[in-house]
Amino acid sequence: MKKIKKEHKIAHCTAAILLIVWAAVMISTLKVLEFSALPHADAKSLSDGSFSEELEGYLKENLGFHDLLFQLKSRTDLMIGEKMIQGVYITEERLIEKQFLSGTGNAALINQFHQEFNIPVYLILVPSASEIYESSLPANALNDNQEKLIKDVYADTETGIRCVDAYHILSSLKDSYIYYRTDSHWTSCGAYYVYQSAIQKMGFAPVSYQKYVISHLSTEFRGDLYQKTLYDKIKPDVLDCYTCETGSHITGIHVRYPDGRMENHAELYDSSALETEDMYRFYLGEPCRTMRIHTDLDNGKKLLLYKDDYADCMIPFLLEHYSEIFIVNLEQTGDAFQDAANPAEYTQAMFLCSVKNWQEIFQ
Amino acid sequence: MQIASLTFVMTVLPVLLCVDYLLPDRMQQGFLVLCGMLLYGWGNPVRILYPAAFLCYDYGTGLLLEKYRKNKILSAGILCVSVMLQITAMSWIRNTAQENLFFPFGIAIYTLQGLGYLIGIYRKHHSPAGNFLTLALYLLFFPALFAGGLFSYAEFAEQNQHKHLNIVSLSNGLSLFIRGLAEKVVLADTFGYIFRELRQIAPENMSMLTAWLTTVIFSMYLYFELLGYSEMARGLGKCLGYELPKNFSHPFFTSSMTAFMKSWNMTLVLWFETNFRKLLFRNCSQKGLGNLGFLLMWVLIGAWYGMKMPFILWGLLMGLLLLNEKIFLEKIIRQKYIAGVVYTAVISQFLWVLFFSGSLTEIFGYWKAMIGFGNGVLDRTGIYFLVSYLALILIGFYIATDLFRNIAERLAVSQFGQLMMSFMPLFHGILLVCCLAAMLYGEQNSRLWLWI
Repeated sequence: MKKIKKEHKIAHCTAAILLIVWAAVMISTLKVLEFSALPHADAKSLSDGSFSEELEGYLKENLGFHDLLFQLKSRTDLMIGEKMIQGVYITEERLIEKQFLSGTGNAALINQFHQEFNIPVYLILVPSASEIYESSLPANALNDNQEKLIKDVYADTETGIRCVDAYHILSSLKDSYIYYRTDSHWTSCGAYYVYQSAIQKMGFAPVSYQKYVISHLSTEFRGDLYQKTLYDKIKPDVLDCYTCETGSHITGIHVRYPDGRMENHAELYDSSALETEDMYRFYLGEPCRTMRIHTDLDNGKKLLLYKDDYADCMIPFLLEHYSEIFIVNLEQTGDAFQDAANPAEYTQAMFLCSVKNWQEIFQ
Repeated sequence: MQIASLTFVMTVLPVLLCVDYLLPDRMQQGFLVLCGMLLYGWGNPVRILYPAAFLCYDYGTGLLLEKYRKNKILSAGILCVSVMLQITAMSWIRNTAQENLFFPFGIAIYTLQGLGYLIGIYRKHHSPAGNFLTLALYLLFFPALFAGGLFSYAEFAEQNQHKHLNIVSLSNGLSLFIRGLAEKVVLADTFGYIFRELRQIAPENMSMLTAWLTTVIFSMYLYFELLGYSEMARGLGKCLGYELPKNFSHPFFTSSMTAFMKSWNMTLVLWFETNFRKLLFRNCSQKGLGNLGFLLMWVLIGAWYGMKMPFILWGLLMGLLLLNEKIFLEKIIRQKYIAGVVYTAVISQFLWVLFFSGSLTEIFGYWKAMIGFGNGVLDRTGIYFLVSYLALILIGFYIATDLFRNIAERLAVSQFGQLMMSFMPLFHGILLVCCLAAMLYGEQNSRLWLWI
């Protein structure tokens, strides 16, 4: 009899505790629920299974106590020995995204481009932080060698194509603040040093570092790697803006977005991004398909820039030398980048791309 | 619908249990059938067509079998045609699963359940379902959806008449469900993630350590995936008033392959024993023919896991090993416990390679690496994975073996154990929180390809 009583007590307790956990999570989910954000159920989304997937995805992102639960899981993983969260290595100083390289180093598409249009072509492949800070990765961690891939690609280019060795520039400066600690991109500082070397090859004298006024836009920048891992023991980043008072000024910007929308802007920088999680977007605004920037320089030099988001913070430096820059976003065009502009109208063409995007687009 | 998903655990399950407990007894059956149809058709309503069609087919065929019971040839003919039809339909739909809109999850289990029902009638184990709804509930029993194990119709129908729901069965069931959920989303999904990472390395670049890690991690992944689904099914079944059979009982660290397979996917092996071997080879007086039947059964089990060459080879090898133990090794194994454990562990790891390799070259590549002729004995990758996941492997190993069980059992009857029992509700609450955390972390899309 006593035993049965105890069994009942435990059963009641279990039911009560489970109910409390469920109700707490559910109430906190419903509190932030927006009906408009819920996946839309119609005949199509029901029949191809996208509704159920989206609903699960919505719950995953908006479950009550999301951040707390996420950290519970990731911290426990780290405690019992795992070295990464969601594909991002956790090191003492910084978060480093793991790189997978599947492609081999060949430059066929660029060679083809060069043969067809015969304008000076410059190529910059930027390694990610996992290559530069390889020594601070966890012992024996899996990490593919980007230096070799860059070397192979450069060796495969035709003689007319000039390559900028960003890897050696950056690795010699690894003690400077050239990569964000919590974001997968390089900093404006890192971009400046590579610009300095690249622009000399392109026939200009670089604007010296002293001429720039550096303003800290935010000292609490937590980038995309933080958003992915929610690991807050890394010092937040500083987002800088470099301005040169004596330099050129932008006279007009014409943007074409991936959805076909076209807009004219007066400002290069998008200050509204500083209010969002994705502060890196400050440099060039939301991802465009193409962008044409005119400056008040009157030297008749026009640059055609094929780029991924690594280039965003380098564009302000390049603008000091050209009367017009036409930007083609490789992440939007993919390998059909040639259709986006007529290269014959430009004096020079530059490909600026991270190794990760290079292998996705050009292999 | 995936049982181990936030959608199910957070929204569907609470509603479903509330409604089921509030409904009067006579309406519960219909309600559960409705739930089964909803969950089979979730994501794409046409998926319900296949199970629904075969449900009607099985119901009709069951009645026919009963009617022509006296005509032995005719009833055997009806059964043969049904088996052929269902196996062909299942193979077709499983082989075209990628582009097949009609593909419902858990089809392999569904087919076996249906065939078991027909064979049971043929063998006079039970009479055909008097009520269409009872059969519908048996076949579309949603707790067992996907990979929940097999159970016989006779027992199910018996339980269906005498079930009663109360708070004890509800909370015991929910506790079991949460433990199963944890096994699936906390352990199996993490092992699955590590396994996929390891799988990206080609076998010829693997050291001995990495190759062994790959198979060990895979066996843990497979075990916890299957165990998790079975335990969730048993837990949900308990909540709804049904007792489903156990599917696994600590298979790792056993002292022979026979003991291993006796505690691995037990309901599946039992199904093939009763519905295949005892049906066709029951009266084989000659030893040779009986053994052939045994071997054939294992080939079929392999084929059931996956309709591909490596799986069938797995079944054949497993059958041969078990026969070998039955005929020659029985005495030796009983005397030498430690040697038996080592032998079982090594052999079973070699056999798991067949489960995840796509081709013969890959299989031999892994085997070569495992005996040390790959890329050396140790490499950086192997060390990294070992150091990172050692704790997890040890935890998994503890749960998957019956080592130290007796300590736990002795503790349970002591006063300390009684005290610990009072903390079980809290433990399950914490476990639920852990499961939610693991599910939103986002690894659980690792659907076992075996059931595709």
